[in-house]
Amino acid sequence: MDDSFFKYLEQLELLAFFSGYSLIYTTAIFISGNLRSKTNFISRRIKLLPFAYALVGTLYLGFELKKIYPVYSFENVGHHIHLHWLVAWGLLSVLFWIPALSKRKALSLIHSLVFFFLILKDIVLQPAAGRDDNIVANDMRVFGASLLLNLAAFLGVILGSALFTNRHKHTIV
Amino acid sequence: MKPHYNKILLTGLVLISGYGIFSGCTHKDVVLPAAASTTPIITHGHHVHLPGLTAGDTTQWKFDKVHSAVNWSTPFLEVGADLTGKFNQFGVADLSTAQMQNYTVTGQPVADTSWAFYENEPAKTHFAGYVQINQINTGEPARDGGCLVTTLATTKIVAGTQNLTVQNVARIKTTSVAFDPAGNDYIVTLNFTWQGGLGAPLTESITGKLTYIPEALVPAGTYSDFGLQLSFQINKADFGIVSTETADKIDIVVSANFNNK
Repeated sequence: MDDSFFKYLEQLELLAFFSGYSLIYTTAIFISGNLRSKTNFISRRIKLLPFAYALVGTLYLGFELKKIYPVYSFENVGHHIHLHWLVAWGLLSVLFWIPALSKRKALSLIHSLVFFFLILKDIVLQPAAGRDDNIVANDMRVFGASLLLNLAAFLGVILGSALFTNRHKHTIV
Repeated sequence: MKPHYNKILLTGLVLISGYGIFSGCTHKDVVLPAAASTTPIITHGHHVHLPGLTAGDTTQWKFDKVHSAVNWSTPFLEVGADLTGKFNQFGVADLSTAQMQNYTVTGQPVADTSWAFYENEPAKTHFAGYVQINQINTGEPARDGGCLVTTLATTKIVAGTQNLTVQNVARIKTTSVAFDPAGNDYIVTLNFTWQGGLGAPLTESITGKLTYIPEALVPAGTYSDFGLQLSFQINKADFGIVSTETADKIDIVVSANFNNK
């Protein structure tokens, strides 16, 4: 067996972590834009979106480290990772923990759209390549899981932020 | 990003996702794979093996006593792990009354030719064999040549003598061989005859299982070999053997190799 199957699995892993963020992001921005009061709960939390994305990226980093455990050598990394550039791109999401980068929310959307385009590519190319509906069906199942993961990460960051802010206020008082 | 662009992007993402779900829907229920068949795969070849003693005649198959064994096992003290042992002297011969005597030889006292094996015609398969009871070997010389001789109601080994007297042999002889419907093996019905602690030999009809290990060229490639493995169980109490050191049920496995050297 060549490594095309393993590449496909690795692509599904990347989709599971990152592809759902773009829809969560645009939906959250859309909802906050439609609300009259800019001081409402959602609007104030929109700025946390890149941190949620960074959290997902951190989870992906842990997932990759677990895969190559216990030999963290370049050779072993080469054996276990097949889509080098795409994995490296995914791992860059960890950088959104940096406040200076997370201020530019649109960058996280652009980062995530790369993975959404992988789904778009399968939707467009797979039917032409032989009508294999299973590829697209797989992508959409993984995309659904990614939506849940990114939504959970967003809610988790909001909760963490609220707890941190509340504790910070008490400390100041 | 301007709200206008976000709306366009959101619309695009929703439309693409929706189309993906729609086009990925096969409209087919996921069919579970069929359950694995529980029917055994039975294949019987057409090997026929007949005995002979002419060295170099590859059509004649010779019993390879040196590479064969008669092993037994039974729970120690009727409750413990298995106590195991074997018989050092045995053969594939249907002993007649006249043949049941002492032989002053070190090799096989009687020709091991009381057998025939037809892989695909089990009704034509038959074999007979014997073990010398006092040649029991549990790996403890003091026990094998001591209390076990008394327990098994036989006599001690006399050096240079093969003891095939009626008190010292247990014999088997097939009465029918048939295909095992549950697998590739054969169901064997045999008469097991042993005097044991009784006043005269007792014959019991016993059912066992026979496995055929097909003929194959040995690694050196100079001759072929095939194997037969027979397993059955006896009840020692039926033969007047009284001992609480072992359970009544004794499992016996005969591993016989044959070659055409």
